[in-house]
Order: sequence, then structure tokens, then C-alpha cells
Amino acid sequence: MGSTQHYVIIGNGVAGNEAAFHLRQRDPESRITIITAGRLLFYSRYELPRLFHENCDWRDFLVHPVEYYVDNRINVRRNSFVTHVDADRKKLMLAHKEEIHYSQLLVASGGASYLPAELDEFAPLLNGFNLYSSACKVRDILPQKGKVVMLGGDVLGLDLARNLVSDGYQVVLVTTEQTFWPHRVESDERALFIGALRDMGVEVIEGVKIERIEQGAPGMSARHIQFDNGREIFADVVMPFLGLLPAADFMMGSGVDFERGLLVSTNLRTTDQNIWAAGDVCQIWSPEENQYRFYYGWKNVKKMGEIAAKNMTGEDIHWETATDQKLFIDKNRQLISPYWEHD
Amino acid sequence: MKETDIQLMFCGSAGDGTIAVGDIFKRAMAKAGYKVIAFDIYPPEIRGFGKCISRVRVTSRQAYSLKQESDLLVSLNDSYAIPHVPEVRDFGSVIYDNAPITSMAEGEHISGHLLPGQLPYGLRIREISDQTTGGSKSKNIVALGYLAGLLGIKQEPFHQIIGDKFRHKGSAISESNLLAFDTAYAEGASTFRLDFIELGAPERQEIGSKVQMMTGNAAVVRGCLDAGLDCFFGYPITPATSIMERLATELPRRGGRLLQTEDEISAIAATIGAGYAGVRAATATSGPGLALMVEMLGLGVIGEVPAVIFCSQRGGPSTGMPTKTEQSDLHLAVYGGAGDAQRIVLAPTNVEGAYRCAGKAFEMAEKYQTPVIVLLDLYLSNRYETVLLPRQNPFEADSVKHRSNVERGVPYKRFAFTDDSVSPRTIPGEEGGIHVITGLEHNELGRPNDQSDMHTRMSEKRHKKLLAALDHPGITIHKRFGDQGRVDVGILGWGSTVGEILEAMLMAQAEGISCSVMKVVMLSPLPNEPIRSFFDDCAEVLIPELNYEGQFANLVASAVSKPFTRLNRVPGVPMQVADILEQIRRLAGRAKSSNAA
Repeated sequence: MGSTQHYVIIGNGVAGNEAAFHLRQRDPESRITIITAGRLLFYSRYELPRLFHENCDWRDFLVHPVEYYVDNRINVRRNSFVTHVDADRKKLMLAHKEEIHYSQLLVASGGASYLPAELDEFAPLLNGFNLYSSACKVRDILPQKGKVVMLGGDVLGLDLARNLVSDGYQVVLVTTEQTFWPHRVESDERALFIGALRDMGVEVIEGVKIERIEQGAPGMSARHIQFDNGREIFADVVMPFLGLLPAADFMMGSGVDFERGLLVSTNLRTTDQNIWAAGDVCQIWSPEENQYRFYYGWKNVKKMGEIAAKNMTGEDIHWETATDQKLFIDKNRQLISPYWEHD
Repeated sequence: MKETDIQLMFCGSAGDGTIAVGDIFKRAMAKAGYKVIAFDIYPPEIRGFGKCISRVRVTSRQAYSLKQESDLLVSLNDSYAIPHVPEVRDFGSVIYDNAPITSMAEGEHISGHLLPGQLPYGLRIREISDQTTGGSKSKNIVALGYLAGLLGIKQEPFHQIIGDKFRHKGSAISESNLLAFDTAYAEGASTFRLDFIELGAPERQEIGSKVQMMTGNAAVVRGCLDAGLDCFFGYPITPATSIMERLATELPRRGGRLLQTEDEISAIAATIGAGYAGVRAATATSGPGLALMVEMLGLGVIGEVPAVIFCSQRGGPSTGMPTKTEQSDLHLAVYGGAGDAQRIVLAPTNVEGAYRCAGKAFEMAEKYQTPVIVLLDLYLSNRYETVLLPRQNPFEADSVKHRSNVERGVPYKRFAFTDDSVSPRTIPGEEGGIHVITGLEHNELGRPNDQSDMHTRMSEKRHKKLLAALDHPGITIHKRFGDQGRVDVGILGWGSTVGEILEAMLMAQAEGISCSVMKVVMLSPLPNEPIRSFFDDCAEVLIPELNYEGQFANLVASAVSKPFTRLNRVPGVPMQVADILEQIRRLAGRAKSSNAA
């Protein structure tokens, strides 16, 4: 590859940054630009629960020091929103009306928290935990030994739940079909895992639907939740953990095939020769299953970033279908998800 | 109590209101009780384009200079602001418009130039301005409102200053700008902050003084007025013009007179004429103007006429760099003109010093019957500082050594030899005080006399009388800062550069280097003895100044026979603290080595 290449990566997560690292290794003279809507450099979201028991800030969560980006000449365009991609002209447009031309584009924009339509109206009363800013907000409003109600309970939520419980907070989990997402849990296992959660100190409420979420009365807990069976509880924070949806609206109209996520072949190339995808945003063709499917978790996503980078620079490496990562209970009766593992 | 020390930089094009918004910000912060030091840079072309920068440092205690790195940059024009992005520190912030009206090519938006350690704060600056005021002219107020909200600064002082600023344009404009400010303030206040820019509480004011924020030139005006200036004659020239502009408004209110003359020669001639007539008179100019004035200055010296000349230096020679700062008129001020024409030259080092030097210059001019030049420079003339001015007027209303008794029938000796070499003076019109003053060498009566003995005695008189000025009360002629006694490194400074020198000294001390600073305010006559004893205390001496030749160093070399190191820069902007610090470190290493040897 020559020095005229401009690799543009949309997304500042594990896949995007892993790709940037390998691109720099393999094409030292190229330009590499990461575009992200966030205002921070790549930080570890897995570390965010530390906010509850440590005096730390975002600088403590950075995966690479600031110098890394200077040394490797990786330009991170933060606070920049891609509005659309023009695959024919190999350029993309940012919301502030700046055009960026690319030689090769990697879409690694990840997933956004999923919120079902029936909860939409309560969105202002819900708190996320997918960003540093939202994690700080929860930390700031949650009183000592305060109560958190989790809706759903995907693996990110369960990771937070175990940390909150060990830090002395109360956690109430309202189960839905997204509980344990993205693990596929058989019905006979489900009871075991729910039991393990209860053993960990999590209060689990099953078989109910949210009827209403309201602001608590002055002087009372901040949130009031009513269920369809008439039961009601009070909490300080209500947090939805209902899985992720691919975040790639900007690819609409680009001509690249899109189903629930960007469709890529096993070498992570989309239907456009110069556009690739990696991470939670893409569905990879599985010849064994004869369908496109998502692969989640830090290990998988990191591997995708590496493969995409290598293929963008001339290799022909293919994604090998991984076996499903299983949720399990360890010898200490602790619920463990392999998705919690990270560097 | 947490100390405050933040520096902001507003950058835009002429017409964006860059200087105006910097002005509102610094006034609001001063009103809130913080100490401020600020400096604006604007283009030399007097037209609606070119880069404008306003830097404002806000501290709990008065700082000596601006910092090299700013904590926050506000871009009102990306193409001008982009080159200044590297001046923002790591984990500092950049505020910019993230919804511009036109499409742009890659690299034209500032967000693409932020360094990895800097934090972006995008705001719909133009949109908010359009929505609240119906146009884009209030982009600066929008950016200011966002900034204030972001940093959690109270709105009240901003409201007052914005209200005052736009009052003359009518209530509709004033109210729409307040709405623009408040709308952006709400956005700023609700933005999640990632930076570490914190404002502590301001320090309490000292009793017996009042805090004001002003530029060096405004302080000169204030000093002139407090000292009882009667007449001012001037011809406009950057960066001294604002002295005349202010006086044009304020001097007539106090019963004084101001005349804009046809050129600098007329201005100095009128000043000397007014001084001869017995009133306090002054003129203000810059290097090119002073060059025109020196011939007439000689008349003031030989005629022993009080006159005050303010010279704000800029980049030279000739027209040079009118909007850039420099300290290169020192030789001209001290030596300029024909013959041995020694005069008093003062160079304040900060805004408060500009006030004191201005007022004391009139006392000295009268007491020692001589022209006094007060040397400022563009950096000091235009920079803002919060200053503590005394509540009691510190200047003497009259320092004239009058002829006490009129002896009828005895010729009046205007240039009589006396013990202190200052001759009793009469004002034209006083009975029995008739005398002659010309540009010719003269005898005690003032009559032309070119005898060698008389010229020698008169030359000695004119020089000797000025030495008493070194002990003139109420003014700092020189001052030592930092470590006392023996030190590894001493830094000798003058004029506005002393601020950067003191900041560098504090940093060096924090690194464990024993060092000391001596500022010299009176440059003619030079306080030789204190300078010599400072040299005796210092293993190494550094003299930083903003000129190519080392003009102050040359003066010092004529007084001290010891070696020293020169640091000369002519960048057109203030000397960098890091530059001075680097030299201090180097000299400290050398001092340690020679101590060890």
C-alpha cells in the first residue's frame, strides 16, 4: 500500500481502535482518521463501574495515553456526526457540513441501547450507562445504599448489577426477554441463573410488565414504578438494559446492503468494495448457518477490527464462526459471562 | 480556598466581535472580584478583516503575565483559530460552531485540528444567534453565554456589562443580546463537562485601595489626571493613540486643554512651551514620533524645561510593525538627540506602574526641570490588568522650585549654579523674573556663552541634578524579587517583559533553582550601585529584552564590568516564559558546575 491511502473509521470503540492499530502497523505512511460522536478518546466502558467506589475520572479509563495518538498519527475526530456516506464518490459528510474523502472506510459504529416503543414515553425518566457522562450522572444522583431498578438485564446490566451490589447498593431486576442478552439461555437454565442472581443479592421480579414510570414525590424516592399486576416500587434510578441495536442510520442511502446491521461477507467487506464493517454494527455471513448473524463481546469485536484492518491492507482473512459464548455459574455460585472479559 | 488560574483565548476575524467579547468577559470577571490580566492582538490594517485574538487570564491573586498555554479557546472563525489550537493545554477545551451555514472541505473545520488531549465543545453558535437576534452578529455573545454557563459563572455581571454595552443601540438590541447570552448560557450549564477548568472564590480586596481594571494607556491617563495635567498635545500613532483619545474626553472635564497638532514636532514643541509657561504638559507618541521629537527634546534639556513624553514602543525601525510589541526605542529615549542631553527615562513594568510612573513623571519633570520620558510598549499599553489604586491621590500637586524672593534690580539667574544643581525658577510674567532661554549654551542668566569652562559647568549641572531623581520619593526605581542574598541566577529586566521574567522565576524556584529578579524602572539615570550589588549576589546574570541589540544590556554593560548573558528576541509578541525559563535552567547548571569546580 502506498502513502496516499486515507483510512477512515467510523466508531471509536474496540473494533475501530483495534483496526486503527493494525492499519498503522501495516501501512505506516497512510492517513488514519477515526470519527466519533463522543467527545473522549477511546476509553474502557467495562471500567465505568469503578466510578461508584473510586475517586477517578475519564482519564483513568483511557485505553491508550494521549501520546499514543500523536505517535501513531491517528486523528480522532471527536464530537463529529456522520450524516451520510456517498459510496460512489468515496466520501462522507459530517453534520457540520465538512466532507471527508476516504480510500477505504471501516464502519465500526457499534450499537445503541435498545428501548422498546412501549417505554419511549418514559425515556426522560430513565438513565443509561453506556457513556462516561451517563455513568457519572447515575453516580451523582444515586444516594448511598440507594436503589436501582434495572429493566431487562443484558450482560452489561448484569455486570453493573454485581458491582453495585458489592458496593452496597440495592438492585432490583425486572426481567424481560432481553435478560441475559446476548446469551441464548434455555428455559431450564434460566431458573438457575435467576437463582444465582438472587444469591448475589439482586432482587428479581419476574413476569410483570411496566405500566407506568413517574417522577417521585418531593422528599420521596426519585422514581415510582407501577407494574401491570398492580405492584409498585420506588427507586432512585431506573436503568434499561435491553440489548443493543446497530447504530448505522447514516449508511441508509449509501447503497450498501443493510438488514438489521450492515451485511458483510466473511472477510468483513460490505457490498461496496471500499467499505468494511466490524463490531456490533455488522452481521457476518455464516456459511454453516446459511444466514447473517451478529457476534458480540469484547474478544469477538476486537478480532473483527484486526481482520478488517488486515483485509483493508491486502490480506484475505476470513471470520471463523465462533461457538456461542455460554453464561455459567462458577464454583462460588457466581454468575459469570465470558462477555465480561476484557483487556 | 481553591486558587483560580485560568486563561481563555477568543479568536476570530475583525468584525466578529472578538475583542469586544474578550472585553466583556474580563470586565465581568473583574466585577466578580477576580484578578485579570489580558492582552488583545488585532490586525495592522484598519479594515474589516484580519485576525483578532483576545487572551484573558483570570486569577485569585494578580498574575505577572499571560500564560503560554490557554485553558480554553473560543473560535469565532475557524480559519484564524486553527493555528492557535496547539496553544491550548492538554485536557483544555475548544468551543466552536458545530452548525456552520456553508459546506466545507476537509480540514476547514476546527474540530479536525484538535489535539488528542484537548476537549471539543461544539455549539450551534450561528443558529442561536439567528434565533435570538435575527442575525449572526451576536455569535460572540452566544459563545460568551455558553462559556459562562459551562464554567458556572454567575450571569449578573455579564448582564450588567452587556446591557451597558448595547444600551446606546436601543433596548431591542440590548434585550436580544441578553436573550442570546441567556439561551447559550442555559446550553452551557446543561452540557456535561469533561474539562478540569475550575474557578475558585476571588480574593478579598485590600482595605484602603480600590480595584479597577484598565490598560496601561488608561493607567497613564489616570496618572496624568491625578497628577494635575493641564495641557496635552499629541499626534495619533499606534499604540499611543488611546492616551490622547481618552484625554480628549476627560481632560476638558477637569478644566484642561488638549490639542491635536499637525505632527509630532509641533506636539513636543507645544509641550515644552506649555512647560515653560508653568503648566503641567505632556505628549504621547511611539518610536517614529519620538524620533521626530528628539531635536526639540534637546531644547527642553538645555532650557531646563519640564515636559513629559509618553512613548509606547512598537516594532521598528521606521513604520515597522505598528501593531506588534517591542522594546527597541530605549537607545533613542536615553541617548537620542544632539549633544549630551541626559534626561530622565522611566519604564513601568505593569499597569499599576504605568499609573505611578505617569504621575511621578510630572513631579520629576518639575522638580529636576527636565524632560521625562515614560517608555511603555504595545504589550503594556494595551494589556488589561486589575489594579489596586490608592484612594488618596499619591502625587504632589506642585513640585516647582520657585524663586523665593524677588530682588529688585538684581538680574535673575535662571540657570544659577546651586548645591543641588537645580536653579530657582520663575514662571513667565512673574515680576523680576525676566530671563532668556534659547537652544544655545548659556551662562547663569541664560545669555549665549560658548566658553569651555561654562559649557563644562553647565553640562555637569544638567547631569548632576538628575542623580537626585534616583531617590525620588513614592516611586519604585528598582526592586528585587525572589531569593535574597547569594543566588545562582539573577535576572535583570525592564518594561513589560518583567512580567514574563517573574513568572519564569517562580517556575524556576519551584524547580529548586535559587534565583532572583531585579526590575529596573529608572533607565536614565541608571541606578548603578543597586545593579552592581545585584551582580555581586548572582553567580550568573541574564538580561532578557524584546530587541535585537540588547539595548538595556548595553546600558548595564556601561555600568557594570562583569559578564552576563543576553536574551534578545524580536517576535513582535511578548517574550515566552518558557524561553526565559530555559535560559535560567542553563545558567543554573553552569553556576552549579562552577561552584563544584
